[in-house]
Parts: sequence; structure tokens; C-alpha cells
Amino acid sequence: MARYLDAGLELLDRQVLDCDGRPVGKVDDLELVMDAKGAPVLGALRIGPQALGMRIGGLVGRAMAGIASRLAGTDQALVVPLEQVDEIGIVVRLSVPVADLPGANRLEHWLRDQVVTRIPGGRRATQ
Amino acid sequence: MKRVLGAALGVFTAIGGFMDIGDLVTDALIGARFGLAMVWVTVVAVIGITVYSEMAGRVATITQRPVFDLVRERMGARLGLANVVVSYLLNALTLVAELCGVALGIELATDVHYLLWVPLVALVTFFVMWRLPFKHMERLYGLVGLFLFVFVVAVWQLGPDWGAMWHDVTHPSVPSGEGLPTYLFYAVVMLGAQMTPYEVFFFSSGAVEHGWTTSDLGQARLNVFIGYPIGGILAIGIQAVAALALQPAGIQVEHLSQSVLPVVMAFGKLGLACAVLGIVAATFGSVLETLLSSGYTVAQHFGWSWGKSMAPTSAARFSVLVIATLIGATALALTTINPITITIYAVYLGAASLPFTFLPILIVANDRRYLGEHVNGRLANALGVVYLFVVSAAALVAVPLLIATKGGL
Repeated sequence: MARYLDAGLELLDRQVLDCDGRPVGKVDDLELVMDAKGAPVLGALRIGPQALGMRIGGLVGRAMAGIASRLAGTDQALVVPLEQVDEIGIVVRLSVPVADLPGANRLEHWLRDQVVTRIPGGRRATQ
Repeated sequence: MKRVLGAALGVFTAIGGFMDIGDLVTDALIGARFGLAMVWVTVVAVIGITVYSEMAGRVATITQRPVFDLVRERMGARLGLANVVVSYLLNALTLVAELCGVALGIELATDVHYLLWVPLVALVTFFVMWRLPFKHMERLYGLVGLFLFVFVVAVWQLGPDWGAMWHDVTHPSVPSGEGLPTYLFYAVVMLGAQMTPYEVFFFSSGAVEHGWTTSDLGQARLNVFIGYPIGGILAIGIQAVAALALQPAGIQVEHLSQSVLPVVMAFGKLGLACAVLGIVAATFGSVLETLLSSGYTVAQHFGWSWGKSMAPTSAARFSVLVIATLIGATALALTTINPITITIYAVYLGAASLPFTFLPILIVANDRRYLGEHVNGRLANALGVVYLFVVSAAALVAVPLLIATKGGL
């Protein structure tokens, strides 16, 4: 039976995890596409500060998107097509690992390689 | 036996985590100025923080979704962002106060100016953050923080008139020479000192850090239902000794050394030693809690990987943010900004921010899709709604009171 889903309440702003449970980000925006009849249907999730900034809008939002675009070198947010979404529940679970998503968590990787690994002990977990 | 010990350790940790510079300063300050006329606020606040910590802890234990996940989900991107910015700044401000608190505690023991200790405290904080496991970290400050009970024992040593004390508690009145707005200002301060927002953030995120599951719900409840009220007794003890020893002498609390004065009067050097140990441990614990909480709030809002129990390389943005916050807070503390003023403002504004984190917790704690059979019962909901009104009322009057009393003068 098809279940009614309020995308604003149950999809937007949810935590996104990859197939191994690693955080990918939040559902920052949604991408709608037109189907054959010209009706809008959900096509993809947009993740990242570029998408969030554009959604928030105003001075703060534009600044957020602008800074994120400069850092990433592109104004394109991470786009995850609906085919790669495995489950929509308390969290949104993807069917692919985060490593397969081009441009995901760029800042995380940069900080890891340029900052954290240079501090002694940064590689080890404490538990 | 091992389980009993584990449960007891959890409770002790909760008591130690409850106490911070906000309690140590405001309880003594208010006790010296208003006597026992605000013990009722302490009782009200402790019940409130217990109710909401239990709720947030339960949600996080079952769904692995801590407070700022819920804030983002329920308040949306804009209001959620405003909330996270304000909460982060308040956390950072509290961190400055706690850093100074540890340093002031060491100053009491060594007579070396606290500003010289601040960088050292920051360095030790960094090592604990980076290397000490979460559980050991909590136990370290939780257990040593129990030395603060010297404040409660001192009430007996000071030999009060118990009947008169009970009368003051049950018939609170505004002392002569103090206006009603000032009384209400300090009532909000007291509310904020006991219901610090970071306690809720930290407890719910801690549930995820501990890897708690549904079978740990009992432990989570035990920690808040026993640990927080005992923390509240400590807070009342500090107020009582200040009322007994400082109020009659007309001493106003403007420095941490005045907070411990009653204990010194009761027990001499031994009392001072216990108080200093307790203060340093409790405030150092709060340094770690506020520092981690500033990382938790932002990471959870943006959906980053986070956690002290992870290798820093697995949570790079979180780790870098935490280090940057520590450096910033240390720098702010070193500007010689008055730590007592910072504490009062952090606590006061914290009280005003409570409704915005409590509302999302209350909503999600009633959602069966999240919690299944573990949704709020009638008692939790009744108390939850009452306290939502209490903190909203406090938030509404906070700014007008701040202006009307010029910050409690």
C-alpha cells in the first residue's frame, strides 16, 4: 500500500547515511523533475551548504552558498538521485557508500588530510 | 556487583556533570544576597532539567538522534540555523566561564593568578579531548567532583536554626533593600544555572557516544532521576552556607574565593582543600561538556560525522571545530574579561534559549514512528508542557528584566 509522505516534514532536513551508516549530510533541498505528463515528481536529494544556502536565501543564505562554492570550487551541491535512496525513515539511508558519491564531504576530507592527521594521535580512536 | 558499581558510577558522573561554575557562582551569590528565598526556584529547575534530560536521553538512546538532529528536523533550516548559532555562541561563552572557573579554583590553592593557569588548563583539556576515552573522562571529573559535598556538610557544621531556615524556604520573600525586578532577574539566573542547555545536549549526545541501546534505558533514567536531584541538593547546600555565613556579614559574592568562604569558616584548611578539589573537578568536567557540546550542536545541524569516541580523522570537521572553539575561548578568557560577569550572562541567556530546544524534544518524544512503545507517558507530557510554559515565560521576561535591572544591580 502506498504511504503518503509529507516531503517537507519527513524528508527535508533529515540525516542522510550511506549504506554503511556513515553520515553523508542532511537533505538540504529537493530536486523536482517533470514526468512524461508534465507533472512534477521528486527526482533527487540535494546535499551540502550550497543547496542549504540557496534554500535559506537572504544575505545569510547567499553568503553560506557563496563561501561553500568558493571552497568547493563549484556551485553545484551533491545530488543524489532517488534511485540511490534505499529507505526513508527516521533517517534517509542510501544504497551506495559515501565514497561512490562524487564531491561528497569535500571539506571533511580536506581537513582530515591537511589538519587532523598532522596532529599526533589524530588517527586513533579513544575507545 | 559489577552492575551495581556501574550503575552507581553513572549516577556519580551525573552529579559531577550537573555542577559547574554557574552553580558555584550563582548559588553563593544568590544565597549571600537573598538568603534561602530562591531555594524554590532550584527545586522547580531541577525537576525541569530532569524531565527534559530524560526525554532527550530516551530519544537519543532509541533512535541515535540527539537534540540538534531533532531541532533541525522539527524547526526547519532557517529557525534551526538561528537556534544552532545562538546555542553554539552560548556554549562557547559558558566554556570561557568554565575555563576561568578551573583556573580560579587552582588560584585558590596556589595563590598564582588565574590568567596564568588558563592556557595550561586549555592544554590539559586538549589532551583529554584527544586521548582520554569518553567513559574515563566522565568518571574522572564525576567522582572527584563529589568533594563538593563539603558544602552540604558545612551546613550542619555552621549549626543553623533549622526551624528558621525551613520558614525562609517555604515563605520566600524579597529581602528589604532589593526590588522585585532584581529578585525576578536573579530567579531567571537561578533557573538558568540549574537548567543549563548544554546539560541536555551533552546527555543526549553522550547516550550516542556510550553506544546506549534500549536495554540501557534503565541506566539513563537512573542517572537523571537520582543524579540530578542530588546535584540539586548540592546547589541548595551552597545557597544555605552562603545565607548562613555571608548574608549576616553583608558579604557580596564577586569572586570565587567568596563562594568557598563559608566552607573555610566551617572546616578551615581541610574544608578549603575539599572545596578546591571539588571545584576544579566539576568545572573541568564542564569545560569538557561545554566544549564537546559546541561541536555536537553544529555537527548535528549540518549532518557531519561527530563524536569524541571516534578517531579524530573519522570526524575531521567536528574535531577541528572543537579545537578552534577551545582556542577561541582561551583567547577570550585571556582578555581579562570578568569571569563572574561572563558566568551570569551565559547562565541568564541560556535560560532564555531553553524553549527553542525543549519544544522539538517534546514533539519527537511523542512520535511513535521514532519511539514506538517508548513515547512519553502522561506524566512526562504533563510536566513537559508545564515546563515549556515556565521556560517560555522566563524567556519572554528575560530581556526586559535585563534592561530594567541593568543586569541585576
